[in-house]
Amino acid sequence: MALLKGTLDVLVLKTLSWTPMHAFEITTWLEERSAGRLLVEDAALLQALHRMEERKLLAAEWGVTKNGRRARYYRLTTTGRAHLRAESERLVDHFDALTTVLASKKA
Amino acid sequence: MIRFLLRPGVRRVFRLPLRTSAAIQSDADAELESLIASRVEHLIARGMSPSDARDEALRRLGPSLEETRLQLHESAEHRERRMGIHEHVENLVQDIRYAARGLARRPAFTAVAVATLAIGIGATTAIFSAVNALILRPLPYAKPDELMKLTLVTPTVGDKKGRDDVVWSYPKFRLFRDAQQSFSEISAYAGQPFVLTSGDVERVTGEFVGATYLRTLGLRPIIGRDFDPAIDALTKAPMEVLIGTTLWERRFNADRSVIGRTLGVDRQLYTIIGVAPRGFKGLTGQAELFLPVAASNAEQLAEAQSYWLEVVARRKANVSPARVEAEMIALGKRMSEVYPDNFAGRPWGAHSILLDEARVAPVVKRSLLILFGAVGFVLLIACVNVANLQLGRASGRRREIAVRMAIGAGRSRVVRLLITESVLLAFLGGLVALIVAWIGAHALSTVSPEITARVGRSTIGAVDFALIRLDWTAMAFTFAVALSIGVLFGLAPALGATRSTLSNTLKHGDADGHAGVLSAFTGRSLLVVVEVALALVLLAGSGLMIRSLTKMLAIDTGFDPAHVLTLRLTVPEGGMARDSLPGFYTQLVQRLRAVPGVTNASLGSCPPLSGGCNRTLLTFPGQPDPDFAHRPLTGVNWASPDYFATLHIPLKRGRMITDADHFGGPKVVLINEAGARTLWPNENPVGKRVKIGQGGFDGGDGAEIVGVVGDTRQFVDSAERTDVFLPYAQSPRAGMFVFVRSTRDVASLGPEVRSAIHEVAPSFAIYDMQTMSARAAGATAQARFSAVLLALFAVTALSLAAIGIYGVMSLAVAARTREIGIRIALGADQRRVQRLVVSQGVTLVAVGAAIGIVGALLCTRVLQTLLYDLKPSDPVTYGGAAGTHGNDGELAPCASCGARRSGCRVEERLIYGGTVERWNGGTRC
Repeated sequence: MALLKGTLDVLVLKTLSWTPMHAFEITTWLEERSAGRLLVEDAALLQALHRMEERKLLAAEWGVTKNGRRARYYRLTTTGRAHLRAESERLVDHFDALTTVLASKKA
Repeated sequence: MIRFLLRPGVRRVFRLPLRTSAAIQSDADAELESLIASRVEHLIARGMSPSDARDEALRRLGPSLEETRLQLHESAEHRERRMGIHEHVENLVQDIRYAARGLARRPAFTAVAVATLAIGIGATTAIFSAVNALILRPLPYAKPDELMKLTLVTPTVGDKKGRDDVVWSYPKFRLFRDAQQSFSEISAYAGQPFVLTSGDVERVTGEFVGATYLRTLGLRPIIGRDFDPAIDALTKAPMEVLIGTTLWERRFNADRSVIGRTLGVDRQLYTIIGVAPRGFKGLTGQAELFLPVAASNAEQLAEAQSYWLEVVARRKANVSPARVEAEMIALGKRMSEVYPDNFAGRPWGAHSILLDEARVAPVVKRSLLILFGAVGFVLLIACVNVANLQLGRASGRRREIAVRMAIGAGRSRVVRLLITESVLLAFLGGLVALIVAWIGAHALSTVSPEITARVGRSTIGAVDFALIRLDWTAMAFTFAVALSIGVLFGLAPALGATRSTLSNTLKHGDADGHAGVLSAFTGRSLLVVVEVALALVLLAGSGLMIRSLTKMLAIDTGFDPAHVLTLRLTVPEGGMARDSLPGFYTQLVQRLRAVPGVTNASLGSCPPLSGGCNRTLLTFPGQPDPDFAHRPLTGVNWASPDYFATLHIPLKRGRMITDADHFGGPKVVLINEAGARTLWPNENPVGKRVKIGQGGFDGGDGAEIVGVVGDTRQFVDSAERTDVFLPYAQSPRAGMFVFVRSTRDVASLGPEVRSAIHEVAPSFAIYDMQTMSARAAGATAQARFSAVLLALFAVTALSLAAIGIYGVMSLAVAARTREIGIRIALGADQRRVQRLVVSQGVTLVAVGAAIGIVGALLCTRVLQTLLYDLKPSDPVTYGGAAGTHGNDGELAPCASCGARRSGCRVEERLIYGGTVERWNGGTRC
C-alpha cells in the first residue's frame, strides 16, 4: 500500500540511524525490513533525501560503494537524530492510538 | 577561472561547492544514474537478464525517466540555493562576530575611528538635509515646474546697467495681466507688516495678494473659501481676509466657526473668509494673513511708477518657455508705451524665471554648496585616516591571512572577512553620525529667514530654513555613504593583503619581503599626501573666510550702537492728522528724555546696517532736470534733531537740524560725506540746494543743505553711497524707529520706554524692540555663521591630518625596524639612518603641501563671491596655512623618532612641536 503521508522522512531517518547509506541501500533496506510491504518509488525517495539534506537533517557526500561505483552517501546529522527521536515517538504513539481504537471489540 | 573548467567529478572529489545550474543538474543526474545502475546490478545478481533488469529499474522510479530527471533537477537546485543562503548567512554572522571582537579588543582605535567617521558623515548629512530642503526638494505646490516668477527689466542706459529683477507697479501689472496669453493663472503679492487692532494689539506680517494667489499656486483654503477672482477687477475690494493657520490657532484657538467673524487690521474690519493651508506662509515666508491687493493704499495702487509688487504665474502647459519670454518682451514694450517713464524712451522689458530658481537667495545657495564641499573634505580626510589605519592593521595580519588561505579559505572569503571590519566600523560611525546630523540639522534650521532676507532679495517662503530636518532621504544618504566608505576603504587594504603568495608570507612573517612593504608603504604614502593636500585646501579656504570676516567686522560702521535701544512705532491710519504729527514727535521725544538714565532720544526712518530703506533721485533747482537715468541716486532718510547725537554720528560741516526747522518753515536737509564728495567734489555743500524725489522736497526751490554728517554703512560690505536726511518735523511720516541712548543697561530699559510711549500715544503699536547692538549683529550673522563653521572644519581637518600623518609614519617605521636595526648594526651612522627616515616623512608632507596649495588656489576662486575685499590668493593667508603645515613637517620626523623605540633606546620625546635639533641631541644607541 502507499506510504502514509509524512512517514517517509521518519523511515529514512531511521534507516540511516546506524550507518550512512546511499539511495539504493536505503530503499532495499526498507523493502527487506518490512518484508516487502514498504515499496518506495525512487523518484520520491531521492526528492525526500534532497529535502532532508536542505533542512540539515542529513549530510551528503559522494563516496564509493563496495562494488567500486560512485554513489552519494547520506548520513544522519545531530539535528536529524534528534528529529528522528521526536518524530518516531510521536508516530508510534499516534499509531498506538489508532490501533487501540480500531481493535476495540465493543462500542 | 580554473573553477569553471573543472569537471563535476573533480569538483565532487575536492568538495568544491556546486555553483552553476549545470553543475547541480549533472550532480543530480549522476546520483540517479548511480541508483539505477545499483538496482540493475542487484537484479542481474538475482538472475534477471540485463534488459529486463533495466526495465524493472526504470519502472521502480515511479514517473518516467525524463520526468524523474526533471523533478530531481528541481529539488537539487532548490536544495543548493537554500543551503547556499544558509551558508552565506552563517558566514556573515561569523564574520561580524569576529570583526566585533577585533574592534572590542582595541577600544581606543575603535572609538577614534567611529568618532572620526561620525563627525564626517554626520556633518555631511546635516548639510545635505539643508541642501535637500532648500534646493533639491520640489516646491510644495501643484506642478511646481510650471510656476514662474515674473519681474520687470530696466533698460541699460549708458554705463548704468539695467536690472532684470525689478518689482511691479499695480497699473503695469494690471495691463500685463489682462493682455498676457502664456499663463493660465497669474497673481501679484507683496509682503507688508500689519497691526491687528481687534482684541490684543499685535503686530503681524502679512501679504497683499491678488485674488487668484492661492489658485495660482494650486492651493485651497482648509476651511472657508478662497477670494473670488472677480474682485481683482473692482476698484474697491470687499473687506475680506484669508488668515494663516498659525494665526488661526493663536488667536482663534483653531475654532472652525471662525469663518464670518471679523478681524481688525490697521483699524479696519475685515471678514474672515477662509484659512490658508497649514505651513503656507505666502511666498515671502512670513505671512500670517492675506488681504486683497485692492485693500492697500489707493494712491499706491494708481501710481504707475510706484514699484512694490511681486508676481507669480503659472505657465500654460502647452506654451514653451521661449514663447513666454517673447511675450514678456513684447508686453514690456507695451507697458512702456502706455505708462511712459523715465528712461528716455527706452522700453522696459519683462522677464520670467522658474520659481524654483528664485527660491533661495543666490548667496545662500552658494554658501550651502560651499559648506557642502567643505564638509565633504572633512569626510574624505576622515575616511583616509581610517583607511590608513586599516592598511596598517591588514599588514599586521598578514600571517593570519596566509594561514587562513592555506587551510582553504577562498580569497573572496578572506577579503569579505577583512571588509566586514571596515563596514562594521563605518556602520557604527553612521549610527553615531545620525545624532551628529540631527544636531546639525536642528542648528541649521534655526537660521532665521531674516538673515537670508537681508542678504539678497526676498526669499521664497516655501523653502524656509525651518524645513530643514533629518528626513528619511538624509538617513538613507548617511547609510549609503557609510556603507560605501566601509567597502571602499576596506577593499584596497584587503585586496592588497591577500595578494602576496603564501610561502612568501609564511617565510618572512609580519615583516614580509621587501616588495610587500614597499607596496603597502606606497599606498599609505599616497594617502598621507592626499590628506595633507585636502587639509591644506580646507585650511586656506577657511583662513580666507575668517580674514574676510575680520575685515568686515573691523570697518568703521560710522555709528556707535552700544547703549542704544530701538523700537518701531507706527501711527495707525487715521490715528492722527498729518499736521499734528510734528507736535506729536516733539512730545514723544521729550517724554522719552524724561525717563531716568536716558541721555538722548530721537526718531529715525532707517537704522544703519539694516540694508537700506528708501532711495530716490536728486535734482538741482536752477538747472534743467535731466532724464531719470542721469539723476543721482540717493538714500533718503528721515530723522529728528537728536538722531545723530543718539547714534554718535559726527557732524562734519555746517549745522545740525534743530527744533527751529519746523513744519512749514524753510526746508532743510543734511547730507552725508560720501554724498558731498560725489556731488560737490571740491566745494562746500553747505548752502547749496537740492530737490529730493520723496517726502515733498521735490518742488520749487527744493531744500537747503545745512550740514554734512559722517557716513554710516547700510550693508556690512557695501560701497559708500549718498544719503540725505530730512527732518521729521518738515516731512511727517506715520512710521518711525525710536532710538534711545541711556547710561543704564539698555536691555532693562524696555518696559519704562514702553510705558512712556503709551502715555503719549496710548493705542499706537510698538514692536520690534531690540538693542541697536543686536540689530547690528544681525547684519553679520550669516557671514559669522559660515566663517565659524568653516573654521571648525579646518581645525578638525588639520587635527585629523596630523593624526593621520603620525599614524602612517609610526607604522612605516615600525615595519622597518628590522631594516633599521641591521643598518645600525652594520655600522651606519645613526644620524644618517634617522635622516633617511625623517626625510621620507618630510618629502611626503612637502609633496602634499605643494598639491594642496595648487588645489587651494583653484578652489578658492569659488569663494570669491563671498569674500569681502580680499583677493582669493591673499598671501598672508597662504603663508599662514603653509606655515601650519610646516609644523606638520616637523611632526613627521618626530613621529619617526618617537616610534623608533625598538632599534635603540630612545628617550620618549615630546612629539608635537619638537624640532630636528631636539631629538638629534637626545638619542642614544
